Amino acid sequence: MKSMSTSQSPAVDLSIIGPIVAECGRSPDAVIPILQKLQNHFHYLPESALKRVCELTEITPASIAGVSTFYSQFRHKPVGRHIISICHGTACHVKGADLIQDALCHHLGIKDGEDTDAENVFTLERVACLGCCTLAPVIKIDTVTYGHLTPETVSGVIHDFLHLEKRKAVPRQFDPSHAPSAGLTEIRIGVGSCCVAGGSQAVRQELEDEIRKLGVAAVIKPVGCVGMCHQTPLVEIVSPKGAPVTYAKVRPEEAAGIVRRHFKPKGIIRQLRSGVTRVMEHLLTDDEWEPVTRYALDVRDAPVCAFLGRQERLATEGSGNIDPLDLEDYCAHGGMVALKTCLVQKNPTGLIHTITQSGLRGRGGAGFPTGQKWTLVHNATGPQKYIVCNGDEGDPGAFMDRMLLESFPYRVLEGLILAAYAVGASEGVLYIRSEYPLAINRIREALSRLEAAGYLGRSILGSEFSLSLRIVEGAGAFVSGEETALLASIEGLRAMPRFRPPYPAESGLWGCPTSINNVETLALVPWILRHGAARFAAMGTGTSTGTKVFSLTGKVLRGGLIEVPMGITLREIVEDIGGGTGNGRPFKAVQIGGPSGGCLPASSGETCVDYEALAAAGGIMGSGGLVVLDDTDCMVDLARYFMTFTQHESCGKCTPCRIGTKRMLEILNRLCADQGQQGDLEHLEQLAHATRTTSLCGLGKTAPNPVLSTLRHFREEYDAHLIGRCPALKCRALIAYQINEKCIGCTKCAQACPADAIELLPYQQHVIQQDKCTRCDTCKQVCPVEAVWIGNIDKTASTDSGAPCR
Amino acid sequence: MPIITINGKVVSIDYGKTLLEAAHLAGITIPTLCHSESLPHFTSCMVCVVQDKNTGRLLPSCSALAAEGMAIETDSPEARLARNNSLNLLMSEHAGDCVAPCTTTCPAHLQIPLMIRQIADGQTNAALATLYDTIALPAVLGRICPAPCEKACRRGHIDAPLSICLLERFTADEASTPPPQTGTPTGKRVAIIGAGPTGLAAAFYLARAGHGCTLFDDHDQPGGQLRYGVPDSLLPRAVLDREIQRIRQLGVSFRMNTRIGGGITLQELRADYDAIILAAGKTPAEHLKNWGLIATGKGITVDAHTLRTSDAKIFAGGEMVHAGHLAVRAMAHGRTMASSIDQFLTGHAVSGPVRRFESRLGRIKEAESRELLKEADPHSRIVPRAGSGVGLSAEEAIRESRRCMHCDCRKAEACRLRDYMELQKTGPLHIPTEGRKPVTRNISHPKVIFEPGKCVKCGLCVRITAQAGEKTGLAFLGRGFDAVVGVPFGDSLEAGLGESAGQCVKECPTGALAWKES
Repeated sequence: MKSMSTSQSPAVDLSIIGPIVAECGRSPDAVIPILQKLQNHFHYLPESALKRVCELTEITPASIAGVSTFYSQFRHKPVGRHIISICHGTACHVKGADLIQDALCHHLGIKDGEDTDAENVFTLERVACLGCCTLAPVIKIDTVTYGHLTPETVSGVIHDFLHLEKRKAVPRQFDPSHAPSAGLTEIRIGVGSCCVAGGSQAVRQELEDEIRKLGVAAVIKPVGCVGMCHQTPLVEIVSPKGAPVTYAKVRPEEAAGIVRRHFKPKGIIRQLRSGVTRVMEHLLTDDEWEPVTRYALDVRDAPVCAFLGRQERLATEGSGNIDPLDLEDYCAHGGMVALKTCLVQKNPTGLIHTITQSGLRGRGGAGFPTGQKWTLVHNATGPQKYIVCNGDEGDPGAFMDRMLLESFPYRVLEGLILAAYAVGASEGVLYIRSEYPLAINRIREALSRLEAAGYLGRSILGSEFSLSLRIVEGAGAFVSGEETALLASIEGLRAMPRFRPPYPAESGLWGCPTSINNVETLALVPWILRHGAARFAAMGTGTSTGTKVFSLTGKVLRGGLIEVPMGITLREIVEDIGGGTGNGRPFKAVQIGGPSGGCLPASSGETCVDYEALAAAGGIMGSGGLVVLDDTDCMVDLARYFMTFTQHESCGKCTPCRIGTKRMLEILNRLCADQGQQGDLEHLEQLAHATRTTSLCGLGKTAPNPVLSTLRHFREEYDAHLIGRCPALKCRALIAYQINEKCIGCTKCAQACPADAIELLPYQQHVIQQDKCTRCDTCKQVCPVEAVWIGNIDKTASTDSGAPCR
Repeated sequence: MPIITINGKVVSIDYGKTLLEAAHLAGITIPTLCHSESLPHFTSCMVCVVQDKNTGRLLPSCSALAAEGMAIETDSPEARLARNNSLNLLMSEHAGDCVAPCTTTCPAHLQIPLMIRQIADGQTNAALATLYDTIALPAVLGRICPAPCEKACRRGHIDAPLSICLLERFTADEASTPPPQTGTPTGKRVAIIGAGPTGLAAAFYLARAGHGCTLFDDHDQPGGQLRYGVPDSLLPRAVLDREIQRIRQLGVSFRMNTRIGGGITLQELRADYDAIILAAGKTPAEHLKNWGLIATGKGITVDAHTLRTSDAKIFAGGEMVHAGHLAVRAMAHGRTMASSIDQFLTGHAVSGPVRRFESRLGRIKEAESRELLKEADPHSRIVPRAGSGVGLSAEEAIRESRRCMHCDCRKAEACRLRDYMELQKTGPLHIPTEGRKPVTRNISHPKVIFEPGKCVKCGLCVRITAQAGEKTGLAFLGRGFDAVVGVPFGDSLEAGLGESAGQCVKECPTGALAWKES
């Protein structure tokens, strides 16, 4: 019998449990909040504490045992002093997260199957995604984030952290003015009619004066209307290195400061609006600045500059200009207009009608028409109805919802209040992943401010409509993004989906009619109501209207969050917005939709962002993950990566998903480990079919998509793996590193090799001992003359050294 | 009231009823593992999948509600494929043997662990009845069988295998109950050529089933190789005679000193009797050809499962079919032919003895052997004090039988997973698997045994204990593929099952939860 806890600290002080229970309540659905508070206190869940909870509450031992072992947030073993979270998001994976994990284990002396070092200082933890994809690969040590890691820099990072800890220093924020700039920088200024009306000519004059004065390498380029006319005048700095920076509502007296900030090593200007400052602080690019780059806890990917390519800002309207928690600021930018108007002028039916007319479909992935969902809940009978905001965004490599919750909490809440009004709900829940502490804090604060301002609570804005909202924190289970699993989680159960129908619209939370809407969907609602259904419906294609937010990551020059109109092609996103792969390598494919989605080859680049078109091409709209891949990315490895994720996240309820994903993963692991067998691909297809057609919920039904789409478009790579070759030279068991005659004998590789596989031979051509080599790529990265090359292991060669071949 | 069709039958059923309930109403059975009428649906096993022909959708019938106009097919190719997929996936992680390796290895498929448990309980007569189920001459085999079963005995990997052969001999010598009659007289007559182990065994089972049997043999006494090929020191003739006498008592007649082709021809027998068995031992090939049956140089060509020859009325076994010296295999042939002929004479399709689906572990790890040892007496193999020529005393037999690790499944005949695996018309598909769950046994409960390796995660026991309000209860621990059913806080199985033990054992669709003693 599996025991829940194996080791116990001898004495656990249980006095904290009484107050925790008093705060969370004694009912069975309080189990997850109680466990979260216990873990906050003890850093793990001591068994004695769990037993005490059962004594003090209505929570049964079976419930607490089942729930605490289901969610990956909960630990049953004591941990080291510091937790190192290694991001295994998609972007980090394609940029070598596995190598980082191995290097950390090696450096800290953590053995296979263990997670904590001998001195109990560091505990390693795999996390699905830290949401800093443009910094990939990333790790987080407690509250400090380190980006752009290589196996070689791992020791420096650990050293830096321990040093930081000794000094009790606060991590500094990244200052973009340190970024080296090269080439000519463009300063763009809007000269559309609104910008001119806003005073852009005067600003332009000031800019030109300052450039001349400093003699910097920049040109001023007047640009046309960019569609954010209420923000004029706009100034955008576009340098060849680093993401563009936009300044809104620039006054002539600020112009000189902007120039100085970008062309002097130390920025001194602080008189710009706080929102703009924040954007600059968080500005990130794909470039490396220094070996160890450290960031504060709330480091985030910033949106890719709004004016690059065909972006449209609806859900992210006012990006970088609105102070997230400043309600007045939000209202000044059109916030709460929709709510005020609707409460006075529109009955719920009218509101739903507008949403239906707009063609808005759920942005969580499945694309169910929002108006139709609301109609169902509106028409359902019952004394109590609920509204739920699904903020359990869990796709690795996707964090649109977090950005919306953090940057536009009022917009999401306004959408939620409108949804509640439409469906007739008087109570609502925001279900947000606990991995998003900043989002939770912001929403919590926003809720109290909204209540104070009369937008929430009893008789909202004097109307007869009342609504109370609360936050429920998820506890680490991707499957809770599935709506019935999410409801189970709110009810304090293991997040296991159930068969539908009945749909939540009919029987949801506590058996009552419930509308569950995604964060992004809700964030679009106020815009639609303010601008009318027609304007929204005019964007996009016939069946997919409006915009979609994506997190654009991977092998792309300008990564980040983008909001694009439906109907835009994948090639436009990758090349016009993302700027191509940026490393000179060919764009091979995009992975869209994360673990539920598929890989579309570059030849499908003309596919539109449209629910039906993407599905037909073998992908899905998904929740918004978009990872660009180049020719060094192995499609079999990528399928394996996603299957590892879904297999780990399967709730285990239904047979096809629980066992089917496991069996598929076993085959993929074999293929990547040079152990492919005849019939593997046929078995893979059969298992994919079984899992897709008979799984209970969307997680299982879509889990085979990464496999099926790569089999469809890149079958030759699977065939190659069957005979032990990895065309992308990625799968470690199939490749070998070697040093060629270009070697100048500098010994850098030998000194850097963590596995001691290279003998120090000054001035001689170095040799990699294949039996010791762990293929960590360090030698290749440190070699100054590109003398290290990778090849597939030649199976036909008679040598036992595993000599590589091309 | 929605009106739907299930397999073409029109069913009218109340609102809110599931397709499974509707099928039940129409008298159609749908396999399911995770469903119980006393609990809300859970939709876990995905074995109950049916197809709505209108939409093509596959639906779990335990949870999907009947809706007006549905055209449900429970056995369409798509539904069957989906059901088989679920079953094959479940089987790919099933860590258990349906039948113990000793039984599987025994050519006669003697239910050895059952016999051993009966001996251990002092129920020697019951043990003999178990023997008679598959072995016609147990006292003979208990002396001369080379016991391939003992080579398969998992106890052999720990110290030494059980003395299965001596236990068989002990039972046959000790018990005295006559072989039970299994059928009433049918008036049918079967001629059996050859009174060796094959013919004797065939006569034994045919006579028990109520068929008239006549054994023809050219020797002056029955027994064949048992009498003329085995030294008296190994098999005292008195023992052989005693067992032949038991067969005689079943009403079997013997016509000794009669050679086919001599005094009587096969064609004459064929005309006089309802069926013929050829079991005359090694016969020259040219001889076989004279009988007008298809034969090769090695022997008469027969169907491997039914032992029927090219003549529908004639069956052949033993060394007439292929060479071999195992008496136990010869007797197994006799029983096979008896089954086939019984089916033939009673107007059933001739398929031979029932062959059931068997989940097999094959090689197990040492740790798993130790796990199985938990249920066994740890002392080493008993050597009969009186010498192996004399055999085990009653006390020794009981002590030896307690060494058995009970590798067989307690619920081999009450396992829905096994039943459904047999329903697969295409035969189970092997799904490649990297390792399987370990074999473990929780025997801490006084009455119930829990084998997690056999659990299909249907959650019935978890839900039953929760519904009953058990103080501790059972829970799913962990998530996904690695989730297991366990007792919270590592508490005892007794605490977890509480008062619900009986219902849990009853509802558990596999051998994961079973009574220790049936």
